[in-house]
Parts: sequence; structure tokens; C-alpha cells
Amino acid sequence: MKITQIAGFLGCGKTTLMLELSRALAGNGKRKVAMVVNEIGEIPVDGKVAQGSGMQVMDIGGGCICCEVAATFAKTIYRLYKDFDPDHVLVEPTGVAVPHQVKLAARMGGRDAKIGLGPAIVLFDATRPAELLDMEMLGRLVTTQLKDADIIAISKVDAVKETEVADSSRRVRDYNAKAEIFNLSSFSGLGVDQLVDRILGWKE
Amino acid sequence: MGTENPESPGCYTEHGVSGYGVAAKLSAKEPMTEAFVKEMAEEMMLNIAGKCMDAGARCIGHVKSHVETRAGTIKADTIGVAHGAYSKGNLTRPVKDLHMAVNSIVQGIVEETVKAATLEGMHEVAHGYGLSVVKEKEHAYFDAFDFMASKEAYQKELEAQFDEAGKPDLNEEA
Repeated sequence: MKITQIAGFLGCGKTTLMLELSRALAGNGKRKVAMVVNEIGEIPVDGKVAQGSGMQVMDIGGGCICCEVAATFAKTIYRLYKDFDPDHVLVEPTGVAVPHQVKLAARMGGRDAKIGLGPAIVLFDATRPAELLDMEMLGRLVTTQLKDADIIAISKVDAVKETEVADSSRRVRDYNAKAEIFNLSSFSGLGVDQLVDRILGWKE
Repeated sequence: MGTENPESPGCYTEHGVSGYGVAAKLSAKEPMTEAFVKEMAEEMMLNIAGKCMDAGARCIGHVKSHVETRAGTIKADTIGVAHGAYSKGNLTRPVKDLHMAVNSIVQGIVEETVKAATLEGMHEVAHGYGLSVVKEKEHAYFDAFDFMASKEAYQKELEAQFDEAGKPDLNEEA
């Protein structure tokens, strides 16, 4: 059971990508895929959206899985392993979660389950780089997410000019020299197949 | 589910992020079309986002909603007034009643302020479109794990949830 997180700040397109990735990873029934959705807003709007996918979905509310409800997340991972035994679990943390802490929480769930960790995919919204990076408090959070990424996906590239996409790529590279950077458009499907390949081939 | 460490604030509070969620049942005298519901939901998202910014927010994380009806679902959201609002989903026929969950996650203002902006924004737009907020409940779960429930069972659960909330929590309007 490989656990892959789709992280990134609020509103960057995580839920949309999760749904596309889950369908692509499932490959017409070749693999079992489950999703874990975490929301701090108390009402699981994203979980309801994911419901329509027909996949196994676990919704964790009441706090952030990287800190407040990390133990609930670990139990959820174990429960999925025991009851459903999927090949892949896609995890959507809240938009304010810190990816390396989510990895730690997932490993807690792996004490009693056979799990492997997939890449931490962090989305960066190309429509608002300045909003995300140039404010002091928020910038610290977003840059921490970028630093923790194994793969950075510049999202919503269909909504901005090519020069703006390049600018976002350049800016995120300043925070993470190692991560692979993809352009992503959930509207056109750009980048989704590449991400699926990376998840399937990812070794810890 | 529950918070294992309720005394400790979440990581997001370090970054000045606050959230508020509310579920509501809205009713209209005349059946509402898909286009009407989408327009209303989008305007509501922008109105809430605008009120948050007017109250001193520095960034809208998101204001998003999920509208559940007997004829289908609609999702509407915004990441800020300047970015516009988007909606998707469909209704197979016009409806008089809808259940709506709204989540507002904002940076730069406290939770009470997010709450006020969300409730004021929701009521203002609902009334502007001729809708009554029949019932509302904070922090309600639209569904707990049961993602495979039938549409009919799901509607019953929604109604039961509001009923279970008890009269003191309900804000009924004519």
C-alpha cells in the first residue's frame, strides 16, 4: 500500500487533482485506490466532492492531520489497510499542513500495516504567486510546503501566460533545488500522466 | 473522529489562518433552476470573501460550498474576489429546497470575524435571491464516513442532523 500526499496551500486545486489521479491510478480496475481527505473547516465539502468518484473515501475532520489529529490519520491508514487493502492511498491534507509532518503521521499508521510512502506532491497556484510567497506569515508556510516537496506541480497553468508559469517555476526553485517541477492543468489534463508515472515508479 | 490534542492549537494558527464552517437549509417559494443556484452560490462565495477582506483579512485561502439537493449537487468556490468564483455540478430539475455547506478559511483575521463574515455573507445573498434560511448549524457534518449511502438515505440523514441539533441551535426564519 503506497501512500502519496497531494499537498499545497488552500485553493490550489488539490481536490480536483486527487480525483483525476485516483481515476488514472485505478487504470480501469487494475489497481485499488483509496482517498483520505482532511479539512479544517469542519464540514467535509471536499469529501462530498470525492464521493462522486465512486472510490473508497475517508474524510477526517476536526483538525489538521499533520498535528491535531495525526493519531486519527494513523488509525485511518491502518483501517484502510485492514479493511480495504488498496494498492494506493492518495492523501489530501489541509492546505495549511506541513508535508514532512504528514509523512511522519503516515509512518505511525505503518507500524501495524505494510506501507510505503510515495512522493510528497506539492501544488503551487500559478494564478497567485505573490499572494502566496510575499506575505510574511503565509509565505513562511508556503515556502515550508515547497521545501518539503518531492515533486512540485505548478497548477492552473492554463489560466495564466507562459511567462507567468516560468516566473512561478523560477520562484519555487529558489526554495527547493531537488524537486522535479511539472506544469499542471486539471482543465486540459496536462501533467496528470507524468504524475501517475512518478507515483507508480517512486521508491523511498 | 476527534481532536486528540484539543489544548494545542493546530499548526495553521501559527500562520494566522482561521476557519469557520456552517451547514444550512435554504428554501425558496418557487423552484430554482441550476443556473439560478449556481449564480446564487457564486455570488455568496464572493460576498463572503469580500466581507472577510473588508474585515482585515490578508488572503482568502478559500471560501467553498457544496450544495446538495434532491436533483443533484453543485459546488461553488472562490480563492478571492479578484480571482472570481467558479461553480460546477448539475441539477436534473428545478428544486425548492437545498442543503448547503460553506467553509471559509482565511488568513489574517480571527475565527469570530470569519464566522461573522460567513454568516452575514450567506444570509445577505440568500435573502437577495428570495431564499429563506430555514435552518442552520455550525460545524455540522454533512456525512460521517457513509459515502455509499443512497440519495434518499443521505437526504434523511441531513434532515435528521438538523433535527438532532435541537431548537436552541436552530435559527429558523419565516
